Amino acid sequence: MRKLVMAAWTTTAALTLVGCDMVASDPDAAAQSGDQAQTAELPEFPDRPYWGDTHLHTDVSVDAFGFGVRLGPEDALKFARGEQVTATTGMPAQLDRPLDFLVIADHSDAMGATRRLFDAPRMLVRDPVLRRWYDLMHEGPEGSQRAIAELITAAANDEIPEALRDPERQAGATRALWDNHLALLERYNQPGTFTAFAGFEWTAMPDGNNLHRVVMFRDNDDRTEQVVPFPGIDTEAEQLWDYMEAYERATGGKVLAIPHNSNLSNGQMFELTGPDGGPMTAAYARRRAAREPVVEATQIKGDSETHPFLSPNDELAGFGIAGWELGNLPLTHTTTPDMLPGSYVRSALKRGLTLEQQTGANPYAFGLIGATDSHTALATGDEDNFFGKHTGNEPKATRAMRPQNLGTRVGRFGWNYLAGGYAAAWARGNTRTEIFDAFMRREVYATTGPRMTVRLFAGFDFAEQDWEGDWVRAGYTRGVPMGGQLTDSGKAPSFLISALKDPDGANLDRVQVVKGWVGADGVAQEQVYDVVWSDMAKRQRNGGKVPAVGDTVDRANASYTNTIGAAELRAAWTDPDYRAGQNAFYYVRVLEIPTPRWVLFDAKRFGLEIPEDVIEQGVAQERAYSSPVWLRPAARPGDAPAIMEGA
Amino acid sequence: MSRALLREPLLHFLIGGAVLYALFAWIGTPVDPASRTISLSRSDQAQIAQGFAQMMGRPPTDAELSGLIERRVREEVLYREALRLGLDRDDPAVRRRLATKMDEIAAASAEAETPGDAVLEEWHKAHAGTFETGGVVNFEQVYFASEAAALAAKGQASPSGQPISLPRTVDAKSMVELGAIFGQQFAQEIAERSVAREWQGPIPSGFGWHLVRLSHREEGSVPPLAEIRDRVEADWRNSTITARRAAAYNALREAYRVEIE
Repeated sequence: MRKLVMAAWTTTAALTLVGCDMVASDPDAAAQSGDQAQTAELPEFPDRPYWGDTHLHTDVSVDAFGFGVRLGPEDALKFARGEQVTATTGMPAQLDRPLDFLVIADHSDAMGATRRLFDAPRMLVRDPVLRRWYDLMHEGPEGSQRAIAELITAAANDEIPEALRDPERQAGATRALWDNHLALLERYNQPGTFTAFAGFEWTAMPDGNNLHRVVMFRDNDDRTEQVVPFPGIDTEAEQLWDYMEAYERATGGKVLAIPHNSNLSNGQMFELTGPDGGPMTAAYARRRAAREPVVEATQIKGDSETHPFLSPNDELAGFGIAGWELGNLPLTHTTTPDMLPGSYVRSALKRGLTLEQQTGANPYAFGLIGATDSHTALATGDEDNFFGKHTGNEPKATRAMRPQNLGTRVGRFGWNYLAGGYAAAWARGNTRTEIFDAFMRREVYATTGPRMTVRLFAGFDFAEQDWEGDWVRAGYTRGVPMGGQLTDSGKAPSFLISALKDPDGANLDRVQVVKGWVGADGVAQEQVYDVVWSDMAKRQRNGGKVPAVGDTVDRANASYTNTIGAAELRAAWTDPDYRAGQNAFYYVRVLEIPTPRWVLFDAKRFGLEIPEDVIEQGVAQERAYSSPVWLRPAARPGDAPAIMEGA
Repeated sequence: MSRALLREPLLHFLIGGAVLYALFAWIGTPVDPASRTISLSRSDQAQIAQGFAQMMGRPPTDAELSGLIERRVREEVLYREALRLGLDRDDPAVRRRLATKMDEIAAASAEAETPGDAVLEEWHKAHAGTFETGGVVNFEQVYFASEAAALAAKGQASPSGQPISLPRTVDAKSMVELGAIFGQQFAQEIAERSVAREWQGPIPSGFGWHLVRLSHREEGSVPPLAEIRDRVEADWRNSTITARRAAAYNALREAYRVEIE
């Protein structure tokens, strides 16, 4: 009996579950799914930002599934590339504008934890005997019978191929899910039009403190199928990096990790110490910067740019912190002020400078992106098209005011959710390699949803007259783009900064430069400069501050007008407070005029009565954060090599 | 029994399903959940180590291996206890995963199959609309913040417009790309305009107003199969997978009488 079942089991496996190996082992197929076709047409410099979401969950994630989502990766891909799908709760869902790329980042633990229970026989047909059987079966009935006869004989003689004996592989539901997933991605990845990246979320959460990372691969499935997603439970970030390094060594591929929700880490995401609590080493710092070139600065579960406690002089700090600032992810521990510097990206960038002075390497030299972290399989970032953090709060009347599930049901409410952000990548084309490489060199930026076009170039001789010529070429040839670094030349750095409004969105209020540096006393400082704003003639500085842009939002109707603000803001700007030898970073923050948040759209749609304070929180100035440019002191002999050459 | 029927993926699916069912029914779980003995043989441990090596590209250290073994034991203990408590029953996640597995089995043959030229040629012909590339346009544009300024400049031979960081000349862009750069409204307007030597407009965009000299328009076309073979194959595969899942489900569904009050 046992032998018979074994044979039948093998038959099923061989009959039905050979897909990925067949596809991937075909070199032509790999070439076709690669990017070769595109390389010939790439422009010299990136000429437009490509928009995407690097953080989307589908029904493969156990938590998303638990919340009720019944849409899988295929629906997610269709939706992201612009097709209409039916949301789990039955509504038609579609983006106004398609996205250019997507990373489906289902929890690796969700895939692994269920593996025994959901195990159906499946394996890759690498074994020559299995291949022969597979081929026989596809020849026709005679072949099929012969194969089964051979199988039974093999089982009787205890000659079942090794591949069928290995319980580690047999039990590999993760393997099965991953292989199916990779095959699906290859079918939807369309170089030049839509890029589908392989990735997963590594969900480590010691004591409820969020240390999650999204892991994103550059490669096609001929490489990515050689690994499975790395589990988050009982593992640490350094082990994740081991995994990433092993992948690169074994396959020649590339992979990066994107930390997120530092705002829910209770200070643990960006610590001043090493992972063991001792002083951070240069080796650790270098490794972290190389593995994690980009951080998610904004998403549905709040914004992590900065906190008013950390940036008391920044009157526009505090976007997207309501509710989230109270504690860690499940709200099992409240947040105290001493934790904040390790939870927000601006202070982390400052800590990076300090650590670089101490150790010779900057662990927090990262670029910034936005993402959704949606658990609905729908990568929605628009306020008027918000499908919720998870299926439990897809559009319905009760979602805005209901206490939400993360935590003790105290202190966090539906309206605390942001509609979610997106990542913009300055790539030369819409392919895996081009967009991934833009992430590696940090030529990316974050938005809280709108698609404004933000350019930043830094050099030492930029001036207003550059706008008259081909300033993009000037930017790339005489300076560095966002994410790059300058070496101190004894001269104040100058910048070309351009922000173009979302063509289908709100006008712009202002463009700011956020500078961080380490003072002579060794203490890290920050300063926000208003660089250019709309109606500058009328809005003159008053007491050092630029007057507010105004507010056209009709709260009851969830509408606004573009009668204030500007279509484009651009300026050549030179740091007025430059000091020779300063170790500094500069990033750009672009603010839209006030617009209604999803809460007001809900109130109108469902005829809700919502409290006055929530209505006021229902209006916000959406924003973009560029990746920084770093100004580093000229290397002294004996200094450790710079860490930021990365890509 | 015809040859064709035996080649039918649906039949493979049904056989596979039956075998799976038999398998589950027979082995149920690898170990009696009531058993309080967990044994990890030397070969089990070797396989755990091998799994680690596959993922990390090196064998585990002794400490790592004992950690992995401890994790395996923990998982096994909790797994058995969960089964004892019947947590696998009426769990929507479990039900969903098993249902998904059935779908995957139905789809697997289509995932592995290499369609021949004839199949793809037919698919390419039958779904030409899917593969049609949208039209592209070439034009020059100048920008004005107000409609009045644009109108005033329209009579000029070469209006200069106002500065904005938008491309002055646009070559071979699709309407989708125009939408991303200039906004949806502008793209729709351009889609309806004809090629002309004169400046047209003002055309509104998300930024303001534009005078446009539309120099070339290429209508959409269906590229030959040779150029887009991988796309056609991917589309064929997606559709075939969906169809086979549906066929497999319908065949199973027919065996059920469903009563909905």
